[in-house]
Amino acid sequence: MGDVVQPINPENVKGNPHEYFRRKYVWSWPIRIFHWVNAAAIISLFFTGLYISQPQLAPAGEAYNNFVMANVRMIHFASAFIFVINFFWRMYWFWMGSKYARSGFPFFWKKSWWQDLFRQVMDYIKLEKGHIHMGHNALGGLAYTFGVIGLGWLQILTGMAMYSESNPKGIIASLTGWVIPLSGGSFQVHMWHHLFAWGFIVFSIIHIYIVIYDGQVYKNGLVTSMVSGVKFYQEGDIDRDDWLK
Amino acid sequence: MTDSPKIITTYDVLKQHGVSRRSFIKFCSMTAAALGLDYTMVPKIVEAMETKQRIPVLWLHGLECTCCSESFIRSSHPLVQDVIFNMISLDYDETLQAAAGHQAEEIRKKIIKEYPGQYILAVEGNAPTKDGGVYCTIAGESFVDILEETAEHAYAVVAWGSCASNGCVQAAAPNPTGAQPVHELITNKPVINVPGCPPIAEVMTGVLTYILTFGKLPELDRFKRPTMFYGQRIHDKCYRRSFFDAGQFVEQWDDDGARKGWCLYKMGCRGPMTYNSCSTIKWNNGVSFPIGSGHGCLGCSEDNFWDNGSFYNRLSSVPLPGVESTPEEIGKIAAVAAGVGVGAHAVSHIISKTIKNAKEKKAESKPEEKE
Repeated sequence: MGDVVQPINPENVKGNPHEYFRRKYVWSWPIRIFHWVNAAAIISLFFTGLYISQPQLAPAGEAYNNFVMANVRMIHFASAFIFVINFFWRMYWFWMGSKYARSGFPFFWKKSWWQDLFRQVMDYIKLEKGHIHMGHNALGGLAYTFGVIGLGWLQILTGMAMYSESNPKGIIASLTGWVIPLSGGSFQVHMWHHLFAWGFIVFSIIHIYIVIYDGQVYKNGLVTSMVSGVKFYQEGDIDRDDWLK
Repeated sequence: MTDSPKIITTYDVLKQHGVSRRSFIKFCSMTAAALGLDYTMVPKIVEAMETKQRIPVLWLHGLECTCCSESFIRSSHPLVQDVIFNMISLDYDETLQAAAGHQAEEIRKKIIKEYPGQYILAVEGNAPTKDGGVYCTIAGESFVDILEETAEHAYAVVAWGSCASNGCVQAAAPNPTGAQPVHELITNKPVINVPGCPPIAEVMTGVLTYILTFGKLPELDRFKRPTMFYGQRIHDKCYRRSFFDAGQFVEQWDDDGARKGWCLYKMGCRGPMTYNSCSTIKWNNGVSFPIGSGHGCLGCSEDNFWDNGSFYNRLSSVPLPGVESTPEEIGKIAAVAAGVGVGAHAVSHIISKTIKNAKEKKAESKPEEKE
């Protein structure tokens, strides 16, 4: 690894193509916006949610001078609606975006997807640089399907069911009210909502680590790709997103 | 129409008791107010009381504690004597009737025969279904059979209290007698659930008054509860709601917040999850209700309220076999486990990289020696 940045010499590039990285625009702007709005919403939702379940501040004075709990709840609900709108926006972009917008989907009916899943797990365990992907690898895609989309649905359904309790005749109640009898009452819905919230924390820990690790090993600029949209690859790297074709 | 028996209306009965027209109209207005109707509906109530026949009501008692009856007889708007002596014709009720034994059972059979499709079946308590229903028998018959027999020709079934609506304590895990709420046994008749342990007296009489007045069943929600009484949570109309919004909570039963009447949310109050009218109608002629007495709501009108663990916790433990932890504890353990896993991976990555680098250095230096 050279510490000094040298001007690119086209002759050198031709002679030693494997030493140079190429750029590929992978994550289009809707995906990047989704990612950061989603991250911000989850952080806001998690901490306001913890506060709501166990309010800690005890403001002094008369009740009419304070609005702490209501404000925290308001932030939680506002974040929730941003999360939901963003979530549906991503589902729309799943169909409208490039093939990389669909690369995280578990293509479990394709043999190549299962092969890639197995290979990726072994690569991470053996701490090796394996095959590269421009989109998501199968393992990453599976993690996003469960850790973001799956958990997201569970939180939206349980959360909106509880939110709709203040207006049981409203439209949200008609869409998500069935969750309450299914879970055995509102008290149980609260419990599940709380448990699933921790799922996001577990997901985030693994997600942040793997992204940094993957970027280190593959030198693909994975972390910055969620800002710029650009991933790097080298001559000779094979794009293994077979199942996308 | 062949010679039908003369209709006895509520107004007829009131007149016989010497009630003046003026008092009668007053009574109708009070009833309208109790039902949450506006004054334009008063003429409708007057008309109903003047022209409609009193509804025969059969009131059955299954597995229960009679707290619903105790509550019912304390109704003040309308007064329960108005309801049971004037508005309805309470023909069978084990605890309130004068008749006993075979005589009482004959009355029940007679009403079923003479008023098919017209009488209301009120059920207090639920029916054990295990072992052929032997855990509750009346006059040698199992209560399940009596319930099904009586419900067959009823106009509607009113399930009084949490026992009849949700199962309550006898249906709580492990439910040894197989007790089932009424709406799971009677599926071919409209069932109105009036949950609560017991339900509020004014709610009970209000439901009956509504059916008598309008000749139809009140609007029900997805749990078959009348929305006029179960349309809002305790929390939505709680007089301590301002303390909730302010973030001022009772932390201990004897702390300063408890003395100041702050919100009981952190003491496990179920008000935010419980649909009932306690915080508006209150109890015992509007004297008080649990939160008004400084104790959190137990959520007695909600399904499974016995199975949610301690009444003084905000969160139940996760209902998985062998797990006795709250979501909080499980979440923290899972997060720590993820952190440890990630850390172990990172450390082994660094170690293997260092070994690899060292080997490469050796490999680089060896060829030089050979040359």
